Amino acid sequence: MKPAFTMPPDLYAKMLDGLSNLFFTEKLGLDSDMNFYRDDFWLSDAAVIEYLQLRKGAWEINLLFAHHKTPLKFLSRRITSHSCPKRARTMAFYMRRLAAKDQRGTLSVDINDLHLTLN
Amino acid sequence: MNSTKQKILEAAIRLFNLYGVANVRLQQIADETGISVGNLAYHFKNKEAIVSAVYESLFDEFSQILSTFLMSPKLTDFNHQLEHYHRFFSKYKFYLIDLFELDRSYPGIIERWHQFVRKMMLQIRKRLDYNVQRGVLMPEPAPGIYDTLTNNIWMTIVFWIPQQILKGQSLNEERFKQSVWSHISPYFTRQGLDEFVLEVEPSKIP
Repeated sequence: MKPAFTMPPDLYAKMLDGLSNLFFTEKLGLDSDMNFYRDDFWLSDAAVIEYLQLRKGAWEINLLFAHHKTPLKFLSRRITSHSCPKRARTMAFYMRRLAAKDQRGTLSVDINDLHLTLN
Repeated sequence: MNSTKQKILEAAIRLFNLYGVANVRLQQIADETGISVGNLAYHFKNKEAIVSAVYESLFDEFSQILSTFLMSPKLTDFNHQLEHYHRFFSKYKFYLIDLFELDRSYPGIIERWHQFVRKMMLQIRKRLDYNVQRGVLMPEPAPGIYDTLTNNIWMTIVFWIPQQILKGQSLNEERFKQSVWSHISPYFTRQGLDEFVLEVEPSKIP
């Protein structure tokens, strides 16, 4: 007879507790939980500009999203930062192109622009 | 498992239920399967191999029943598990006849039985706690009462079939389930009673 998998009784009891608790902790979500998605839905059709800011010695990339019909509805997000301004500019350019609607479908990325170091 | 092996095991289980593991010979198993002893020996070299395979399949089925713990959050979940238990203990009636013989002849099997019994009792106890938390059962009236209740439920599940055989009465799944639920029902809250009547015993609603 092959050796059976065994589990200490106290561990098994904890596992059963965990299973029981699932029914108390895992509940159906509310429709309003998805508001963040609906609230940000306009971003998919927004105008995007990038801007760089020097903060604490690093170039921060920010993207500014503006509603295509009501430009006063806008949103600014800090994305990342780079110590090299050239790299920050390149990254910001691509981030802006990726975030904005690529209406003509002409976006392409040149890997050489990114100056990747492999070491 | 191929079909001949399966047929041999099914025949062995039938014979074990009738005469007990110790009293069944290979010749009887071969006759019951409808094959020669030589052919039987090709599939299982001796009786120990058959007994091991039967217990392996028995423990597999028992594990499957245990894995049905709290698949749904309602009382019907336990009711379904009781159906599985009834089918299991009806199929393997020899478990009790040979329980005390096992320790001498097949050491190791009794230890696995003990492990399953411990798991089964833990599941019953945790079900009570879960249903108290859910408001379906009243909180434990005094310390230790639900431990005793757990033991009584376990005894009914395991020994209901042998006591029916002893009394010469038929094995009826509904009566088996009623016997188990009768331990729990005095501890139902109003909500628990409503759920029980509506979902576990809908046929009894006038």
